[in-house]
Amino acid sequence: MVSFFAKRFGALILTMLIVSFLVFITFEFSPGDVARNALGPFATEVQLEKYRQEFGLNRPFMARYLSWLGVAPNHKGEISGLLQGNFGYSTLWKTQVNTFVWDRILNTALLAGVAFAVIAPLSIILGVAAGMREGSLLDRVVSVLSAITTSIPEFAMGAFLVTIFVVGFRILPGTAPLETGGGGWSIASQLVLPVATLTAYYLGYLVRMVRASMVEVMTRPYIRTAVLKGLTFRGVVMKHAIRNALITPFTAILLQLNFLFTSVVVVETVFGFPGFGRMLVEAALYKDVLTVETATLFAVFVVVITQVIGDLSYMLLNPRIRFS
Amino acid sequence: MTRNLKEIHSYLPTLATQLAEGKVSRREFLRTSTLLGLSAASAYAMVGLPDQGIASKAYAATGGTVRMSMRVQPIESPHTYSWIQDSMMSRNVIEYLTLTGSDNVTRPWLCEKWEASDDLKVWTLHLRQDVKWSNGEPFVADHVIWNIKRCLDPAVGSSVLGLMKGYMMNDAGDALWDANAVEKVDDHTVRLNARAAQLAVPEHFFHYPFPMMHPSSEGKFPGIGSIGTGWAEIVEYELGKKCVVKKKPGYWHGDGALDSVEYIDHGDDPAAAVAALTSGQVDGIWQVEATQLAAVRKLSHVTLYEATTAQTAVARMQPIHDTWKDPRVRKAMRLAIDTPKVLQVAYLGLGEPAEHHHVAPVHPEYAKLPFMAQDIEGAKKLLADAGLPNGFETELFCNADQDWEPRAANAMAEMWKQIGVNVKVTVLPGAQYWEIWDKETAPFAFTTWTHRPLGVMVLGLAYRTGVPWNESKWSNAKFDELLSQAEGTLDVEKRREVVEEIEILMQEEGPIVQPLWRSVFAAMDKKVQGFQAHPTQYVFPWDWSLA
Repeated sequence: MVSFFAKRFGALILTMLIVSFLVFITFEFSPGDVARNALGPFATEVQLEKYRQEFGLNRPFMARYLSWLGVAPNHKGEISGLLQGNFGYSTLWKTQVNTFVWDRILNTALLAGVAFAVIAPLSIILGVAAGMREGSLLDRVVSVLSAITTSIPEFAMGAFLVTIFVVGFRILPGTAPLETGGGGWSIASQLVLPVATLTAYYLGYLVRMVRASMVEVMTRPYIRTAVLKGLTFRGVVMKHAIRNALITPFTAILLQLNFLFTSVVVVETVFGFPGFGRMLVEAALYKDVLTVETATLFAVFVVVITQVIGDLSYMLLNPRIRFS
Repeated sequence: MTRNLKEIHSYLPTLATQLAEGKVSRREFLRTSTLLGLSAASAYAMVGLPDQGIASKAYAATGGTVRMSMRVQPIESPHTYSWIQDSMMSRNVIEYLTLTGSDNVTRPWLCEKWEASDDLKVWTLHLRQDVKWSNGEPFVADHVIWNIKRCLDPAVGSSVLGLMKGYMMNDAGDALWDANAVEKVDDHTVRLNARAAQLAVPEHFFHYPFPMMHPSSEGKFPGIGSIGTGWAEIVEYELGKKCVVKKKPGYWHGDGALDSVEYIDHGDDPAAAVAALTSGQVDGIWQVEATQLAAVRKLSHVTLYEATTAQTAVARMQPIHDTWKDPRVRKAMRLAIDTPKVLQVAYLGLGEPAEHHHVAPVHPEYAKLPFMAQDIEGAKKLLADAGLPNGFETELFCNADQDWEPRAANAMAEMWKQIGVNVKVTVLPGAQYWEIWDKETAPFAFTTWTHRPLGVMVLGLAYRTGVPWNESKWSNAKFDELLSQAEGTLDVEKRREVVEEIEILMQEEGPIVQPLWRSVFAAMDKKVQGFQAHPTQYVFPWDWSLA
């Protein structure tokens, strides 16, 4: 067990290092000037040069990378970087990354968490219900709806839902700025449409996966044996089918957490949600490399951690799998 | 009256006569007379109209909060703001010496009045004596001088320097041209002694990075707790999310009607702001994109405001490159364009077709020329005369930030094909575009230009030889001479005659293809009174109230 976690932790650190270097080098060689972005289109060369000097942008690439990591002095001669808990200065937001990134991460965690809490049980219920009687009316309805919702892009689904519930029925707020002042909409009501959009998009895929697994399990000999032993259909499904049918999709369901966390940019943009994804895109477009680095490392962290949790859960569901 | 006018400025009686004789329009009279120091109220009275540029202070009711959808961006350094929206929140707290209203007329604001010498080189600013900073100190000349000198310090990096460099700085542009260039006359009077005539000094004092800050701020504006002279103070500021300004008592202009204004950040997607307006999460949107107009028009509780502006984009050709050296080629590019059609395709017809000379119908010195319509045969002949009978291939860089710009660029590219010029449109994200917009590495690029109240202002910024924003690198001695002449000509009629020559020169030899002037739009809940659409899209919440 200790060896398992040590290996995973080592892999996590190595992945973060590689990703951070790749992000740094990508930004280094992508077009766009940080100073120009910060000072605007009308800044003179003198002003640009002054800005570059002030933020140490003229230093060699590796020197900047190592000082950001916190293993070499920065342009002020200080060792103050990631290892010391300093994520650096955001050229877009013109403040330390630490001061705003956590708020954005928490907002997205809230959105992703609520969406996951809806998607996970719903996908299991619908997938099992569809898969336990393959070819039934319920199965066909669920399958067709799953295919439809999954094939509609999030931005389109968001626009449809806004048109129906905001413009048409006027029963929900059109955006989710997480502010309760305007129109008296609660935070909970603001989350409804973003969560519904995420649910519609991610649910179909999971439902089809659970359904397929369920269909396969229902054809297994031990299910036939259970039926022949005289167990009720409900008993067969509940006692023998569900647990086995969930082993394979369980990891996929857990991985939705990191998909939700790292892929919510479209929903956050459509609904004006002040989250992690919108922040990441805005920073990337602005070439705000240190904000992108911080966000990317956090995304890597979430991905690796959810994978570890997925592995552990998989082992709990399937005793044949061991830490080795 | 004539004697009084003459005391304000020697040219005002002539201007009044021209108005009476119908030689200048009301709008031209308003603009020029107020620039020369006549109060807007008096100017409006002389043309027989109520003052329309700023909202009435007769509030329907007091109290309440108005919520605006707007990006909540960093506001820490007002003198170096790069974008108009940067100043939207801070202008509630820190104010400007002048104010250009929605009618395109500039009025005194923190200064009570100004006087210009006959040669337009000496400008005397009389400051209001009833203005106090929020820390209780009176607003005095020393504060104004500190702000002017700070903005003109190249080390600060304010774009004010670009505006005032020509008449306030030395040849190198690194210091004031004279030690006495900014002179304190007394505690409430400041005098600018310029090296060159300049008509637009009051306009320059309303440039968005030119607010009056308290010297103790050292140019920093933390938001909450910032010292200012404005009607409100910032009480809540969360980057990228929300900013709240709250009324403070004792405002020199009369207390505002609203209790507070909240700016809510919905990101860059214009549809999100419209959705927020639909569900009542906000009361207004400061900038409605053309693509959202249809949706906003359907909202029965909302008023859509339109401002006619001099906002545009120009496809500028750099004559320093072989492709664009020959003026016949540049003119052929202009003749190939059906500007009304581009306006329709790119901006739903919401504006005016432009005429390739960057002087707008809203500018007082605009001279109407015969419309430069599409002339494919004429364009082909010019190309043939220039030795390019089969046309050529080139690349046009375009900014993706505003969706109408790529549409306009692509529409023009299709039209250029008709004369054998194949243009590859390369659309760049804003961050990349603004890196190359003025560079020689982009010989052909489509750049947006914001509204400026006077035609000579933008001509001086964009086309005078060697100025920093001359993105086309065009240099024409005749143009420079005419422009200087126009800038120093008070008489609108005479200035228009000079500008007419400039316009013709631009159409014949100029460096731009200019397809359209665009209107701008704002939306506000009907319950909000006192809102006016501004051509530069500024908002003035101290004039608003709730019905």
